Amino acid sequence: MADKTANKKTGNAFTNNPLVKLIGVQKIVVLLVLILLIVFFRANSTAFGKYSTLLSIMDYTYYLAFLAMGVTFCLLTGGVDLSIGTGMFCYAIIGGYLITHKDMPVIVGILVTMLLGLAMGTINGLIVTRGGHAPFLATLCTMMIARGLGAIATNSTSVTWPAYSAANGWTRRIFKITIGNTKYPLGLLWVILLMIAFSVFLNRTRPGRYITAIGSNEEAARLSGVNVKNYKMLAYMICGLCTGLAGLAYSSAFQSMAPSGGGGIELNAIGAAIIGGTSMSGGSGSVVGTILGVFIMSVLQTGLPYIGLQANYQQIIIGLVLIVAVYIDVLKNKRLAR
Amino acid sequence: MGDVILTMKGIDKSFPGVHALDHVDLEVRRGEVHALMGENGAGKSTLMKVLTGIYKKDAGTITYEGKEVEFSNPREAQDAGVVIVHQELNMMGHLTVAQNIFIGREIMRGKFIDDKKMNEEARKLFDRLGIDIDPTETMSRLTVGKQQMCEIAKAISHDAKLIIFDEPSAALTEAEIEELFKIIRDLRDRQLGIVYISHRMDEIKVITDRVTVMRDGAYVGTLITEDCTKDDIISMMVGRVIYEEGKTESHVAPDAPVVLKVDHLNAGRMVQDVSFELRKGEILGFSGLMGAGRTETARALFGADPKESGDIYVNGQKVTIKSPQDAVKCGIGYLSEDRKRYGIVVEKTIAENSTLATLKRFMKGIFIDNKKENEAAQNYVDILKTKTPGVDQLVVNLSGGNQQKVVIAKWLVRDCDILIFDEPTRGIDVGAKNEIYHLMNELVDQGKSIIMISSEMSEILRMSDRIVVMCEGRKTGELGIEEATQEKIMHAATRRD
Amino acid sequence: MDKIRNNTIVKRVGFNTVVLFCVLVLLFVLFAILTPIMKPNTTFLSYSRIVSIFNYAYFLGFLALGVTFVIATGGIDFSVGPVMFCCALISGQLLTKSSWPVAACLLVSVLVGMAFGTINGVLVAYGGLPSFITSMASMMIAKGVGSVFTRTQSVSWPGGWYQNLIKVQVGGVQVPTGIIILVLGSAICSIVLHKTMPGRYILCIGSNREAVRLSGVNTKKWEMLAYIISGGLAGVAAIFYVGVYTTVLPGGGDTFNNDAIASCVMGGTSMAGGVASIGGTFIGVVIIALLQVGILAMGYQSQYQYVITGVIVLAVVYADLRSRRRRN
Repeated sequence: MADKTANKKTGNAFTNNPLVKLIGVQKIVVLLVLILLIVFFRANSTAFGKYSTLLSIMDYTYYLAFLAMGVTFCLLTGGVDLSIGTGMFCYAIIGGYLITHKDMPVIVGILVTMLLGLAMGTINGLIVTRGGHAPFLATLCTMMIARGLGAIATNSTSVTWPAYSAANGWTRRIFKITIGNTKYPLGLLWVILLMIAFSVFLNRTRPGRYITAIGSNEEAARLSGVNVKNYKMLAYMICGLCTGLAGLAYSSAFQSMAPSGGGGIELNAIGAAIIGGTSMSGGSGSVVGTILGVFIMSVLQTGLPYIGLQANYQQIIIGLVLIVAVYIDVLKNKRLAR
Repeated sequence: MGDVILTMKGIDKSFPGVHALDHVDLEVRRGEVHALMGENGAGKSTLMKVLTGIYKKDAGTITYEGKEVEFSNPREAQDAGVVIVHQELNMMGHLTVAQNIFIGREIMRGKFIDDKKMNEEARKLFDRLGIDIDPTETMSRLTVGKQQMCEIAKAISHDAKLIIFDEPSAALTEAEIEELFKIIRDLRDRQLGIVYISHRMDEIKVITDRVTVMRDGAYVGTLITEDCTKDDIISMMVGRVIYEEGKTESHVAPDAPVVLKVDHLNAGRMVQDVSFELRKGEILGFSGLMGAGRTETARALFGADPKESGDIYVNGQKVTIKSPQDAVKCGIGYLSEDRKRYGIVVEKTIAENSTLATLKRFMKGIFIDNKKENEAAQNYVDILKTKTPGVDQLVVNLSGGNQQKVVIAKWLVRDCDILIFDEPTRGIDVGAKNEIYHLMNELVDQGKSIIMISSEMSEILRMSDRIVVMCEGRKTGELGIEEATQEKIMHAATRRD
Repeated sequence: MDKIRNNTIVKRVGFNTVVLFCVLVLLFVLFAILTPIMKPNTTFLSYSRIVSIFNYAYFLGFLALGVTFVIATGGIDFSVGPVMFCCALISGQLLTKSSWPVAACLLVSVLVGMAFGTINGVLVAYGGLPSFITSMASMMIAKGVGSVFTRTQSVSWPGGWYQNLIKVQVGGVQVPTGIIILVLGSAICSIVLHKTMPGRYILCIGSNREAVRLSGVNTKKWEMLAYIISGGLAGVAAIFYVGVYTTVLPGGGDTFNNDAIASCVMGGTSMAGGVASIGGTFIGVVIIALLQVGILAMGYQSQYQYVITGVIVLAVVYADLRSRRRRN
């Protein structure tokens, strides 16, 4: 009897430390892993320490960060969005096609990219909330549609957004600015700003609060008068918009994009979110954790070639990381249910 | 006690096939704690659901604060100050206590949620109620008792005038109940009306001012708690049950061997130190009120849920049961209370369901012998008088009683010696009920042994040779059929010690 | 309408399958009429066209048959396409670089597929991981393993006796043995699913896992088996893929997941589990293959097929959801 009157609070001095509680155990662990990874790569390859490595890590970080932050919202509601990888390619290719092949101003390309993302997010939201489809199936179908759409719209040509040195190449300078003779990863600033904005949105505004509440206990949220359908919808729309942003970031960092590409990138993004502590079953997670997860992914992606492991090994390693992260999530939920 | 805040008069409500409420009256005054009592299925919850607008009443009037009202949903009732504290918790485990309390009506500062203010308000609320909970703690990290306190605090923060507690103490410890009572007294002193639904006789005597008793959907009467005894209330609750062919003495030979012995079984809060024996050819009734832990005991015994400790002996041999597979190997079959979820595979045929536990016996080489399977299924369709055009009928198309027969057939095909019937006649019409009773008697005549969990007193008294009574996860009584009466069972079922 | 539904033959085959078959015939007619209109001087009805439909259907057929088992348990397998490629790459590498006998390579292909299936099955059934994310992770692993094994080189299978599995030259006539084998394979799968113990348990698990567990059945074991079957059949599919197209590139294959899943769903296998039709899957596969070939024949890019498939799956699943809701 006596043990039940006591609070269920468990854990040790470390986990109950107020600072640790504020940041979250998982985030601290992930941060440590990230530092270890960097130290490991640096120790095994002197080339990894170069400034150019930092820049290429950042190139991988930007688009993944946008995708992962977006999909965090879907995961928080207990859903998922599988269309983001191919979607990102589809929107950016159509946007870029208008610029390079139809001589439209760059701003139009940017707008089209963003709006297509928002539109697809809205469609996903509608199918999930009004159609009642399972999120993974609904977004699998839109993933197929996005895959076809990009190729059809551009007549199956691959597209490269205007180059860094080109007159209309300013989209690339949004993410990488040259001051003097050095390039600076300006995109990091935008990622951090968006991260802060999303954090505030999730923690300090009603829609953010309700998105978390829905994932935690949809029925309880509904009974409390929360319009569950609309807020779920909102999560998918945010995710769609972020996908558009990611398309922009990708096209600014890399060269040509092949139509019907991008498949598999959604897994990197979902993996990053789960590594950062966002639960597959919804209700818990944070944008800051997601960004930490993104860095793990981008450091892995950039670092593995330095120790002689090419892209093929990365896929294996990232697949394994994903399984471990999901398994930890399953264990966490089991403990919570008890 | 102040003036009347709520009057429900002549409330009538029918569901297809059930007359759930038969002209029920209830009157609650400001500053009183009004107990609502009755057996399982007496209609207490239905009455409260009619009040808060979850169900629409067929007839009768509800007068609240002097005006006739009809709430169309719980939110409307809530806005008018009528709030239910549910037994099952409606909380979002990942959010903090304060965030849960203010969900849907957050305190804002401009465009942003003012969590600091919400924490302060929650803390003030807790201070007023004398509850010691940190509003910034994550909900899922609290004990069930503390979570219940948060629910109560949430209800009060809605500016409630009438609070309904639906078995609030079921999950609470002794100390937490003391705390709860302090809060309830405080609310009463502030002239709120309180409806208190509980099965615990001792609590009723301690906390309530008046008692309204319901039975079988009808109003029995209202008493002033101080002036009546426990026995008065119990006799009002049980009434006179008419049952045919009731057993007056055990049909089991005194020297019949013990086929199943459960020794100090523990599995979570709902199964604490339960021990009993089952003899060959016996129907052992498990009685108790809702949430007494009977189903949990059966599931732990059957290996469906993990158990913490305890030994099980089948025919004198100690056995290890870690999964339903082990239990079935020991010759134990379990008919769940929730057929749809745990009993039948609805999209499959009668034949497929009948052989689910014994498919190995119906193999011809690597193939399923459909002919043999159909014959076996047909055989039990005939024996059990299952009404169906054929054994290739999908189970989803059968009535509740016939679905139950298919589940029974599954275990009869398996030839289990020990059968656990969990609420075998729930949701089944009278005719089919009698058939199932006959069948159970036939089974024990053939030397099988049955554990029957039932919430229907008449069923328990009619079928059992011996009765085990449980209350809140503990065994609180064991009665031979010769000495068992409704009153004795009810006493044991409401005992807390 | 009811008259058709209650017809004994229709009942035996399944109303869904009959409708699907009509759709298949209609599509075929549509392509036959539209192709000469869209692209003058071409006809759709040629022997080579039929062969290319079949060629696409062979490997897709085995993939879809495997996925049907997994979907029947209420799960999903996103890994079959890349696993097929991985099987083809590993066994092809052994064949061309290490000079293994063909028979051994074919066996290796199936075993590699089963290994991936086992990993998926253990993680989902015993580890409790969601099937879609697990199989996506193993999809990445399959891609990686395939390209690591071949050092990111493509593998071309030399011709050999195994190609007789696809077509045999008898006199001057080409006999498509592949279609016979696919039909046989479908028949075996149908028998396994509906007439044997594993199939019975797999379907029942998809319908009501808890009821099956409480009947004393080892649900985890049978659920795992579904994934192993799916993986093994992906290995078989690999043989037919290289038999037709000979060359495999590392790192691909994920579009075939969608085609395989779409075939199952179209064929009347419910995403909720418990209901599966091998005959339906078979027709679904032929429809996808027909779309693939037909769209190209009309002079459009094959990408249209992705969009059409996506929309069809959404519609079919929506109809399934609607009819379920109506029943309850």
